[in-house]
Order: sequence, then C-alpha cells, then structure tokens
Amino acid sequence: MSYRIAVIGDLSTSTGMALAGVSYTHVHKSREETLEKLRKFLEDESIGLVLLTYRIAEELEPEFGQLMRGKGMLPVVLKIPDKTGYMPSIDELSEVIRRTVGTEVTIKGEMR
Amino acid sequence: MATNLTAPPTRMELIKLKRRIDLAQRGHDLLREKMDALVMEFFDVLRRIQDSKRVAIEQLHKAHQALSECFAEIGTIETLESARETIRDARLEISSRHVMGISVPMIEDVEMKRDALARGYGLHTTSSALDESAREFELALKLLIRYAELEASAFAIAKELEKTRRRVNALEYILIPRLERTIKFISMRLDEMERENFTRLKRIKAILEERR
Repeated sequence: MSYRIAVIGDLSTSTGMALAGVSYTHVHKSREETLEKLRKFLEDESIGLVLLTYRIAEELEPEFGQLMRGKGMLPVVLKIPDKTGYMPSIDELSEVIRRTVGTEVTIKGEMR
Repeated sequence: MATNLTAPPTRMELIKLKRRIDLAQRGHDLLREKMDALVMEFFDVLRRIQDSKRVAIEQLHKAHQALSECFAEIGTIETLESARETIRDARLEISSRHVMGISVPMIEDVEMKRDALARGYGLHTTSSALDESAREFELALKLLIRYAELEASAFAIAKELEKTRRRVNALEYILIPRLERTIKFISMRLDEMERENFTRLKRIKAILEERR
C-alpha cells in the first residue's frame, strides 16, 4: 500500500516539508484547530505518517496522549524538533526503556 | 480467580489442581520465551535507533538553516508561494512485520529526492537557495521516515513487553504459588484423614479383640 505523509508544525517546518513533497501540511495556530486537524489526519486511511513538532505535541496534551493511545499501528506518528531544535530534555523512549527493562537505565554508547 | 484454602480436600480436587498447575507452568514457560525474544528484538531496534535518530535530527537542523537562508534571500512570501506551488505527492510504502504476534510497521526506503524541475515551482522567480533547502528537506524527510519506523517499532515492542512481563509475573508470583499452597493444604489434609482413619481402625480392632 502506498501512503501519504502529513505534517503539523510551525511555518518553517510546514514550508520545508511542503518543499520536500509532503502532501498535507498544517500550520499550527490555535490548539483546537490543530487538534481537529490531527484527528482528521489520524482517521484518514491514506495517511501513513504524521510528523509533528515536539512543541506542538506538548501543547496538545493531554488530548494528544489519548489520541496516541487510541490509534492503531497506522498512521505512524513521529515527533520532530522544530526550527529552534527544541526537544524535551527527557527522551520519551529512554523513559519507556526504563519502564520495560526495569530500573536500570541502559546506555547504548558502544556501537557494534 | 483461583482457589484459596477453602477448596474441598478431596482427591479429585487434588488431581484437578495438579493439572491446572501443569498448565500454568507451561503457559509461564511459553510467555518467558516470548519475553526473551521480545527483549532481543527490542535491543536490536534500540541499537539501530540511536544512530538513525541523530542523523535524522542533524539533517533536519541543516534543512532548517537552508530554509532560513532561503527566506532571507528570496523573501518569505516568495518562499511560501513556491512551497504552495510545489508538487506534493511524496509516497510511502508501508507494510507490517510480525514480531511474536505483534505487528510493527515496516516502511520501505523511498527516495524523496527530486530534481528541481520535478518539484514544480517556477524556476525563474526562485533562486538556488530554494533548491538547496528543498533538497535538504527531502533528505531530512527520508531520514526521518527511517527513524519513524524504528521508533514506532520500539514503542510497539515495549508495550507488548510490558504486557508480557506482567503476565509472567502474575503467573510466577501469584497464580502458581497459590495453586501450590492449595495443593499442599489438600495433600496434608488427605494425609491427616488417612492417619485419623488408621488410628480409628486400630482402636476398633483393639475393642473387638477385648470383646472376644
């Protein structure tokens, strides 16, 4: 199956991704509007990947978390840094690792 | 759920319980194996994710820089207009892969790179800065897609791992010990009844002999 890509981001992110050929872009203005758009993207069967910036994802909580838990395998939702390179200091994945692997925080420094 | 110490202390019940504990044990072993396999898969994904994430995010940063330059060079409005004119039909091929009964997405590596003519914006009003940022973003998108696949897999596996762990623990620390306790109680009770019976018979025998 071939799927399209959607982006929710600030103006720069959306513009850049549009230049790269992403089919749907939404520039974040108000919380309600963006949430509405995100719901639409999640429901759309033709969309396989939704990119959105960390900053917006944080702003959309707690609804964002609920939507993430409720969705199936597709579309894949990925949080990306925005123009300022903003990322939360606590990596979500390492949080998950801590929870699943147990108390130890795995450091995967040595590669190969 | 399972039996407590009030189960009827009969031989039948004992046999039933033994059967149940066998089943629980077997389920426990199977889940254990599943968990081991998931852990291996999980770490495999984690090993790959690290590099992929770093590269993708660096590239995205570079793309944003290029875009800022483009905003400065040909103007914000012109850039936005060109972005609007761009042909936007990037496609992904997504299939799913099964790891121990959970499906994780598998996104095929697609080439996002296009040449300037294929992008669709007017060439004479734009400059090479726009081409540059479009190229950088295409590359960033490609890397992000690869990273997205890994991250989605990692989250799916982690979720399943947690669930499996909970089940294994429930069997190991609650159900199986409880069944064992009940079995012990019943077999003790049965032994006790046997001994009671034994002394009773002895006593009767003594009485009968006295009477003779």
